[in-house]
Amino acid sequence: MLKYTLKRLLAFIPMIIVISLIAFIISINAPGDPVESLTKAAGNEGGAEKQSGTAKKDKQKLRKKWGLDLPLFYFSVSDMASCDTLYKVQDRDQRQNLESLIHEFGNWVAVDNYYKSLLNLQKEQQNINIESMCEQDTTLDKNKVNEDLNQIGFNIVGLLEENKKELVDDKFKNLDKLISSDTYFPSLVSLHNNVKFNHKLLFIKETNWKTYIPSINWYGINSQYHWWVFGDFFHWEETERKGIIRGDFGVSYKDSQPIKNKIWNKVGISFTLSLLSILIAYLISIPIGIYSAYKKNSKTDKGISIVLFMLYSLPSFFVGTVLLLFFANPDTLLWFPESGIKDPLNYNPDWSIFNWERIQHQLPYLVLPLITYTYGSFAFLSRIMRVGMIEVVSQDYIRTARAKGLSEKKVILKHALRNSLLPIITVFAAIFPMSVGGSIIIEVIFSIPGMGTEMFNAILNYDYPMITAFFTLIGFLTMIGYLVADLLYAVVDPRISFK
Amino acid sequence: MIIKFINTQINKENKTDIIKASILTLIYALFFSTIYIGETSIFYISMFCILSVSLSVLIASNIKSKKEVYFRFSLIKKLIVGFILGWIMWPGFGELVGPIIGFYVSSKKRTDKNNFSFQKYAWNQFKKNKIALFSLYLLVTLILIARFAPLIANNQPLYAVYKGVTMYPAFEDKKTTVEIKDPKTGEIEKLQFDITDWRKLNLESIIYTPIPYSPSFLDKENNDYVSPNGKQEFTNHKGELIDSPTIFRHHLGTDGKGADLLSGLIHGTRIALKVGLISMGIASFIGIILGSFAGFFGDRDLKMRRVKYYMTLMGLFFGFFYGFGQRKYAISDGFSQSTSEGMIEFSISILIILGITYIFRLSSRLITNKWLSTEISVPIDSMVSRGIEILNSIPRLILIITVTAIMDRSLTIIMVIIGITGWTGIARFTRAEFLRIKSLEYVQASKSLGFSSFRTIFKHALPNALAPVFVSIAFGIASAILIESGLSFLGIGVPDDVVTWGALLNLGRGNIEAWWLIIFPGIAIFITITIYNMIAEASRDALDPKLKS
Repeated sequence: MLKYTLKRLLAFIPMIIVISLIAFIISINAPGDPVESLTKAAGNEGGAEKQSGTAKKDKQKLRKKWGLDLPLFYFSVSDMASCDTLYKVQDRDQRQNLESLIHEFGNWVAVDNYYKSLLNLQKEQQNINIESMCEQDTTLDKNKVNEDLNQIGFNIVGLLEENKKELVDDKFKNLDKLISSDTYFPSLVSLHNNVKFNHKLLFIKETNWKTYIPSINWYGINSQYHWWVFGDFFHWEETERKGIIRGDFGVSYKDSQPIKNKIWNKVGISFTLSLLSILIAYLISIPIGIYSAYKKNSKTDKGISIVLFMLYSLPSFFVGTVLLLFFANPDTLLWFPESGIKDPLNYNPDWSIFNWERIQHQLPYLVLPLITYTYGSFAFLSRIMRVGMIEVVSQDYIRTARAKGLSEKKVILKHALRNSLLPIITVFAAIFPMSVGGSIIIEVIFSIPGMGTEMFNAILNYDYPMITAFFTLIGFLTMIGYLVADLLYAVVDPRISFK
Repeated sequence: MIIKFINTQINKENKTDIIKASILTLIYALFFSTIYIGETSIFYISMFCILSVSLSVLIASNIKSKKEVYFRFSLIKKLIVGFILGWIMWPGFGELVGPIIGFYVSSKKRTDKNNFSFQKYAWNQFKKNKIALFSLYLLVTLILIARFAPLIANNQPLYAVYKGVTMYPAFEDKKTTVEIKDPKTGEIEKLQFDITDWRKLNLESIIYTPIPYSPSFLDKENNDYVSPNGKQEFTNHKGELIDSPTIFRHHLGTDGKGADLLSGLIHGTRIALKVGLISMGIASFIGIILGSFAGFFGDRDLKMRRVKYYMTLMGLFFGFFYGFGQRKYAISDGFSQSTSEGMIEFSISILIILGITYIFRLSSRLITNKWLSTEISVPIDSMVSRGIEILNSIPRLILIITVTAIMDRSLTIIMVIIGITGWTGIARFTRAEFLRIKSLEYVQASKSLGFSSFRTIFKHALPNALAPVFVSIAFGIASAILIESGLSFLGIGVPDDVVTWGALLNLGRGNIEAWWLIIFPGIAIFITITIYNMIAEASRDALDPKLKS
């Protein structure tokens, strides 16, 4: 048994790796720049501040803290033209623009020169002090100068972030007009000429053939993925980043709080509900399955079959809304509260889990969600139980048991039941993810403050780390559900673990 | 070249058949090219005609027996059926493909009526199940409703005469604008078909569609959750506020903006069916190919020379590098222009990958090193099974929701994602069926005759393995519809302007007083899912008599 358990555990390792990879791919493909979102969350918003020195430094710190200045994966596959330290460029748009430039011209050195000359131009443009300029030369119109300067800035940023031919030509034309016609930016002229020169060099020094030769870069463990999964593995205690294997999922974009603190109790609520509903489903469906298999092809059996079939096809969100419509609606029947899992006024947080008062208090809140959770898997389970039971009852050993003169009750409950439980246990592995997945819809309908609602809100708020965290967590927990199903299966059927 | 090809196909026996077939297709091709393509250039028309005729010759030359008369009723019937089916499935293109498929089917040698065939047996078994048969008819009805939705529920009338001008707005494009001159005053009035409130015009003569509302049409008088049996108001062309006449009533009520619910349901049918079909089409494509390879070859039977194996891997690496890595920008530019442009770029990439892999595989023949030439087996079964296990271990709904969260909101993306995550069941069934089939005599026979594995799989084994897969596909369609409506119920993934059943139900959740917004869309989803489940279950019983207990 122990050997079997270990074997199953080993089999889960590739799955865990794949789940973490999928989650990671999703998280890096999320739209928007993570640092921008994080600084926004911290409240450092503001267009003018975007370019200022302190904000930039803050961003750099954040980038370092969350390891965003590292390469993505242990290795990367790219072409010979591309630069293997491109990940160090901070701005996401600029990085993408550089990538496309390299792809187009295939000469990293030339692209680098062009990019640096643009950056120099930008720096000089930001250093120009309009106040002092206007003081020196009083004939200048301050507003116009300011506007021109801003225009130049916009065009430079455009060049830094765009690589569409028409747009680039357009921007260069604008810059030409702005810088050469107005004599009041003398310092920019030479830099601008430098940019133009470097841009022309791009075309001259084009080595496009290099993009057709693949190359593999090896970065080692100092990569984003490694940090995301393992954190700082060598400083076990004092490090801030612990990696998802120690439950650290990063920081929410919404309020900059660690996700770890926000999700654990939510996960608890959701999984309690899921497991409770599966338990109830098993408790109801086994007797029903036995009964309808025992009275096979009778009218009751047919009736039960049809009802189960209907239940199986009913979408859970429909059932949930209809239950709310009929039983939690002041116009029809107000038997149950409409939403939530507790009344904040009467709820006593000191109640222990099995406190009778607490159960009495929370039960009305849970009735409708539990019905919605349960009915689908219950219909599914009953149908499987029925088929399994019918198959077992037609076996030889059941006939033997009957021939021996055992009572019908004993035959069914003692000999048939245990063997017919096998298929129903295997489907635990299928029902569990279904129930967890369904929880997002049901929790949204009944406003249960669990994982599903939280994930729904995260999606509405574009809070990607939160979404990734939930996805990873649910994947891992589902894996545990699988393990439980496997072990249960081995307990019921000892043949399995000896295979 | 084409004429030479036609000449080689004709022999004495099938001469008359081919001449008849060619004349028929020629007429059809002329008809199709002038009406549908609208291309008046003689070059295009003649190209099209030559292609059609050569295709028909190819098909007609397949006719084996001369004894039976094909070109009387059977052919014309199948052409017409093919045309109609093609139009329903894919208007604009299906009309071209449908008749050709019908032609091909009718050119096959007809089996004797008393012959026993498995299909016939299964169909007879299926017919015995009255509920399932009824579900099948209901499904056909739903497909028809989906196809004819613009003629059933539309605020543009079928026929209208206004100030002496006759129009057929329902058959024309939404944005069509007509300028109408008043004969007395000489004023010019502009009518844009989809914006105009036709109910309020003083028309001389009009025929409305059965439900005179589009899902996007907002009724300003009844815009606050009007109940189906409640008071509904209507302002006629004289400006009097009256109770709604029966023809303008919202039979299933409206939502908070005044959109008609029944019209939304009818147009939503289209999306529900489309999602089910397309996503399961993708899923079964992946599932059948992977499942049949895994089942047919197992872990030991796919043998190749070691060098060929390595070369295949190399070829795949280079193929992906040149196909996707190198063409990354070309593909994304294509998709940013239009979906079809993107798909073309994408298929070019796929072709590049296949081509490079093939070249690498070919080049492996040059190497004759002894160690490299030893045969090794590729464990394709374990690979596919592991893949299925991994994909199954992630809750599907959560995976889909997570992926749609980082994507743009679009129906196509949702269909593709549902398809990509939904192939595991189909692959499992195909694999199991192939495991059974590969030891049967006819597969052994085709192997020993020296047919390639490819031919054995797709021509001999696959047609006999499709029965359980079909069942799995039908169940899959039901669950795809369920997932799509669940997503649009949450308001994730599907764009706001697309009216789906789930989105309508979501409106009802927002305002629980409006019970009609909950009950009717819910019942529509429920009925569709039940239909598919019923058909799946009945065909499972029909196709596999062992399972019937």
